[in-house]
Amino acid sequence: MIATLGAKAVQDVVNAGHFGRFAWRSVLTSMRSCTARRTYPLVWTQMNQIGVRSVPVIMITGAFVGMTLAVQAYDQLAGMGLEEHLGVLINISVVKELGPVLAAVMLAGRIGGALTAELGTMNVTEQIDAVRSMGTDPIRYLVAPRFLACLLLTPVLIIYADLLGVVGGALVSFLQLGINSRAYWGFSAYGVDLWDVAIGVVKGFFFGGAIAVISCYKGFTCEEGAQGVGRACTEAFVASFISILALDFALAVVSKNVYEVFWPLKSLVG
Amino acid sequence: MVEQTKNDKKQEPGPASPPAIVEVRHLTKRFGKKVVLDDISLFIAKGRTTVVIGPSGCGKTVLIKHMLVLLRPSEGEVHFEDRRIDDLSEAELSRVRTRFGYLFQEGALFDSMTVAENISFPIRQHYKVKDWRAIEDVVKSKLAMVGLDGFQNSYPANLSGGQRKRVALARAIALNPEVILYDEPTTGLDPIRSDIINELVLKLERELGVTSVVVTHDMKSAYKVGDRIIMLHNGKVIADGDADYIRNHPHPIVQQFINGQVSEDDLAVLRMAGAASAAQFLPRDFDS
Ligand SMILES: Nc1ncnc2c1ncn2[C@@H]1O[C@H](COP(=O)(O)OP(=O)(O)OP(=O)(O)O)[C@@H](O)[C@H]1O
Ligand SMILES: [Mg+2]
Repeated sequence: MIATLGAKAVQDVVNAGHFGRFAWRSVLTSMRSCTARRTYPLVWTQMNQIGVRSVPVIMITGAFVGMTLAVQAYDQLAGMGLEEHLGVLINISVVKELGPVLAAVMLAGRIGGALTAELGTMNVTEQIDAVRSMGTDPIRYLVAPRFLACLLLTPVLIIYADLLGVVGGALVSFLQLGINSRAYWGFSAYGVDLWDVAIGVVKGFFFGGAIAVISCYKGFTCEEGAQGVGRACTEAFVASFISILALDFALAVVSKNVYEVFWPLKSLVG
Repeated sequence: MVEQTKNDKKQEPGPASPPAIVEVRHLTKRFGKKVVLDDISLFIAKGRTTVVIGPSGCGKTVLIKHMLVLLRPSEGEVHFEDRRIDDLSEAELSRVRTRFGYLFQEGALFDSMTVAENISFPIRQHYKVKDWRAIEDVVKSKLAMVGLDGFQNSYPANLSGGQRKRVALARAIALNPEVILYDEPTTGLDPIRSDIINELVLKLERELGVTSVVVTHDMKSAYKVGDRIIMLHNGKVIADGDADYIRNHPHPIVQQFINGQVSEDDLAVLRMAGAASAAQFLPRDFDS
C-alpha cells in the first residue's frame, strides 16, 4: 500500500520533470523559430485553424458574460441606489477577470482538445516518430507553430470577448434595466483604466501559452488506442483549466504589486 | 573497430567482408520489467543487405528502431560509422538520421498531407527549395520506383494498405539515404508486387551501394535479398549467417520458423482449446 503510494509519488515527480523539460524545450524552440522564415507558413496555417474558427464561440461567451453580469449586479446596486455605477462593475469584471478567464477556458476546450487529439493520433500512428526518423525535430515542426499561434491569438480572442462583453452588458443595462447611457459610460470611463484592459490581454499570453504546451504534451505522451487519445484529451482539458485558474491567481497578485509600484509614475510622465 | 563477440563465430567479419556501418553492442531493452532485447551485439556490413527474421513479437521492430535511436537502449551502445550515437541529443541526431531511411511497419504516412507532400517532406525539411519542378520530378521518380506514379494528389486515407506501404517506402528513399531500414516491406503485398520490392532493394544495393536492413517474415524474400540473415528469438540472436547457413541450421526453432511448421507444444495447446470451445457454447446458451 505504502509502496504503491510511494511508487505513484515517484512517478508523479518523474512526470513533472518530463513536463518541465518539454515545456522548456517548447518555449526555447518556439522563440528560436520566430526568426526562421520557414515556420511562418506553419504558424499561419495553425492561426487559421485555431483562431478564425474560434471567433464566434468566443464572442458568444463574451456577450453572455456581460449580459448575465448586468442582470445579476443590478439588484444589488439598485438596493444601494448606485445603479448608475453598474457600468464600472460590469466593465471591470469583464475586462480584467471574466473575459480573459472564460475565453481561455473556452479555448482550452476548443483548441486544446483539437491539438491533443491531433497530436495524440499522430503519436499512436507513429507519425511523430516518422518526423524524427527523417531528422526533423517534432517540437520545432509540430509544437512551435501551435505554441506561437496560441500565444498570439489568445490575447486577440480575449479582446473580442471583452468587446462583446462590454456591448452585451451595456445593451442589457440600457434596454432592459433602463439605465441612463450617459451616466453608464461616464462612470465606466472613470472607473476602468487602460491598465485594467492591458492586464486582461497580458493574461491572454500566459493562458494561450499554457494551453498550447499542456495540450501538446498530452498529445505527445498519449497512450495507444482510441481510448488513450480520449483520455489524453480529457486530461489536457482538466490540466489546462486548473492552470488557467492558478495562473490567473498568480497574475492577479503580481499585477497588483506591479500596479502599486509603477502606475503612480504615470502622473509624472503625463 | 568491430568488437567481436566471443560466443558466435559467424559474427566476426571475415577478411573480405566490408566494414561495419551500424553496430550494436550489448544492447538490452526493457519496457517496464519486460526484457525485449537481451544483450544483443551485432554489426551491419556496409553496402550489404542484412535480413532480420524472427517470430512475431520477438523484438525485430524494437531492434531496428534502436539503429536510428528512435528508442534509447536500456543498456548497451549503438554506433554509426565508429561514432557512438545512442547518447546524442535529438538535435545532434537529426544530422545522422538524414543519412538513414526508415520504412515503418504501418507506414506512418502523414494523413494530413497528400502522397506527393509526404514524399517531399524530408526534402523540404532539409533543403532550401527554389525549384519546385525539381521536387516534382524527384517525387515522380520515387513513386515510379514503387509503381505508384499518378497517385501524387491522393491522401493516404484513400489508398489501400499495400499502396500506403509503398508510398512510405518511396518517402523513406526520398533523401537517397546510405542506410535503409525496412520494417516488413513486403507484408500485405501481393506476390508479384512483393517481388518487385525485393528487386528494388537489390537494385538500390547494387547500383547505389546502399546498406539495407530488412525485417521480414517472408522467407522467400529473405533468401532473395539477404546477404546475411539474423534470427531473433526471445530477445537473443539464435542464428546468424548466409542463406545456406540458415537453411541448414541445426537449431529446431530455426528450422520450424523457416519451414513455417508449428511445434508439437503449440499444436497440443490448440487441440485442447479446440476441444474445449466446441463444448463451451451451445445455441441454447444464448436464448434465455
Ligand atoms: N513502446 C512499447 N512499450 C511496451 N512494450 C513494447 C513497446 N514496443 C514494443 N513492445 C513490446 O516489445 C515486444 C517486441 O515488439 P516488436 O514490435 O519489436 O515485435 P516484432 O518482432 O516487430 O513483431 P511483429 O513481427 O509482429 O512486428 C512486444 O512484445 C511488444 O509488446
Ligand atoms: Mg514489427
